[in-house]
Amino acid sequence: MGTPVSMATGFFTDATLCIGCKACEVACKQWNELPADGFEFTGDSYDNTSQLSGTSWRHVAFVETTELGDAGVTDRWSMLSDVCKHCTAAGCHEACPTGAIIRNEFGNVFVQPDVCNGCGYCVVSCPFGVIDLVERFDPLGRQYNLATLNENRREENRTALAGSGGVAGKCTLCYDRQKLGFVPACAKACPTESIRFGDLDELRDEARERVANLQERGVAAALYGADDVGGGIGPLGAFFLLTGRPESYNLPAEPVLPSTRQRAGYTAAALAAFGLALAGWAIFRAS
Amino acid sequence: MHRSDAPPRVPQPDDAFAGASPQAGFPEAPTYFDRPLLKAPHWGWNVVAYLFVGGITGGLGIVAAVARGDRAEDLRLRRAARFAGLALASASPILLISHLGRPERFLNMLRIVKFKSPMSMGVWGLLLYSGTAAGSVARELIDDGTLSRRLDRFVPPSGVLLQALLGCFMSGYTGVLLSATAIPLWGAGKRHIPAASVCSSVAGACAIASLYSALEGNMAVIGRLERLEAVASVVEMAVLGDFRRISGAYGAPMYDGPRGRRFRNVTLYGGILIPGALSILGGLFDLPPRAQKWRTIVSSLLTLAGGYVLRETLIEAGKESAANPHAAFRQPQ
Repeated sequence: MGTPVSMATGFFTDATLCIGCKACEVACKQWNELPADGFEFTGDSYDNTSQLSGTSWRHVAFVETTELGDAGVTDRWSMLSDVCKHCTAAGCHEACPTGAIIRNEFGNVFVQPDVCNGCGYCVVSCPFGVIDLVERFDPLGRQYNLATLNENRREENRTALAGSGGVAGKCTLCYDRQKLGFVPACAKACPTESIRFGDLDELRDEARERVANLQERGVAAALYGADDVGGGIGPLGAFFLLTGRPESYNLPAEPVLPSTRQRAGYTAAALAAFGLALAGWAIFRAS
Repeated sequence: MHRSDAPPRVPQPDDAFAGASPQAGFPEAPTYFDRPLLKAPHWGWNVVAYLFVGGITGGLGIVAAVARGDRAEDLRLRRAARFAGLALASASPILLISHLGRPERFLNMLRIVKFKSPMSMGVWGLLLYSGTAAGSVARELIDDGTLSRRLDRFVPPSGVLLQALLGCFMSGYTGVLLSATAIPLWGAGKRHIPAASVCSSVAGACAIASLYSALEGNMAVIGRLERLEAVASVVEMAVLGDFRRISGAYGAPMYDGPRGRRFRNVTLYGGILIPGALSILGGLFDLPPRAQKWRTIVSSLLTLAGGYVLRETLIEAGKESAANPHAAFRQPQ
């Protein structure tokens, strides 16, 4: 208790080691007591979780590619466990009007559910589409992941959500476990050490060594988020080793921190408002 | 919507003509089963209504400040703008609470002041504006003798300027609130959406003030209000036209398809061009008072409908924009 921690912790998730077992998804749901998302078969490879959401804080993407090369047709299958990026400058953290979203002593971005008022501004402020609202108090005791429901049920539940007010949910980087000195549940459960947890500086060194080693062996591998991703976001607190373009894993190639547009917005609004006020003043003085 | 019961999408030759193609105008990139990258806003009619009402109340602060203090009809207009401004400012938190679910959730936003969050700035702006709006109504009630003169010292005269300044903020901050998000359509309009919000709010405030004045028979101010409304509407039209040009493929959800048609018909034609034409008509011909009154009422209602549909289109098109992974892969600067 109360141990001062100066380091920032994070995840390094390696697509070349992931076997798509989804143990991370299960461990996360179990430890964080997250409800099931319903049984829906998407037909999108082996991925029935579909995306990160308010109740799915790890999501294993299954990327299937078929290439026609010199050696004939090559089928490639790449899996990657996606998670909240715990950005250095986090859109959700900046947007939150209640202060529910904080940066904790481990340098992670954490949502305090008892402070969140369900305004939904963080949802549209995440450049990675991670955080989402989730219904907390469902009168019928049903818990749904809005994102994976079909269109009608989703609308129905959006309505319910609007009535009772949801709260924002996303990966906590197992804040509670870290405080006890434990490794986050997903990293603990990963059987291949595709998910590594630890001090970010050490993880980045490890990742650079890993990617150099893979490239030496002729594997097309690249890091995503170990260094500044641009757009004012900085390096990611959870970064990835990919074997394809970021877009094929549903990661943005050029994410932008939304607050960087504020200065331009306020300036344009002020010019328009002062201009019109002046015009109004002149019109009422001229006649 | 995103279930892939269809086989993997192979680009077809007629893609170039299909406006609905999610890839139209964006650089070629793989997608993850065409699934959305971003989460769509969970915002419905109550947030749309707040963007509309909150903006107009700010515009009324501006209208109240520019009316002359030495002319009887302007004083009546100022009184009308102050009362309407307070009424709409009071409706704003009710709309926000109807979105949040429970009243006490609104109070969570009063724990902190965060300059980086337009939502936090907006809540404080709304509270301060409501204070000045209440003050200006109190001033009216003291001046006409409804309230005791002894309350005079609680209502400083500097409140008028403060209300106008906060009104400027209220008329446009919701545009900043939208454009400072990851939604590609909104981000692409980082200057245009705030400027268009201000113009629409001021035009809407003029419409409310015209409506109020027409109904209470204060016809002398209608011409001035319509001139200010025309200036705001012309600037709004120019800004929205320019936004279409610079937003390119990011702007498609707002300008294309049935939504784009509705937006053009209700906001651009119905909300700007027709009221403008009616206003010119009123200036050219010496209409009988009854006709003048009805012309004003119709024109004001059309302007207000256009302003509401502008906000609704922004929110709904934002949802569609979030669903297009290509727009989200390369986010506007």
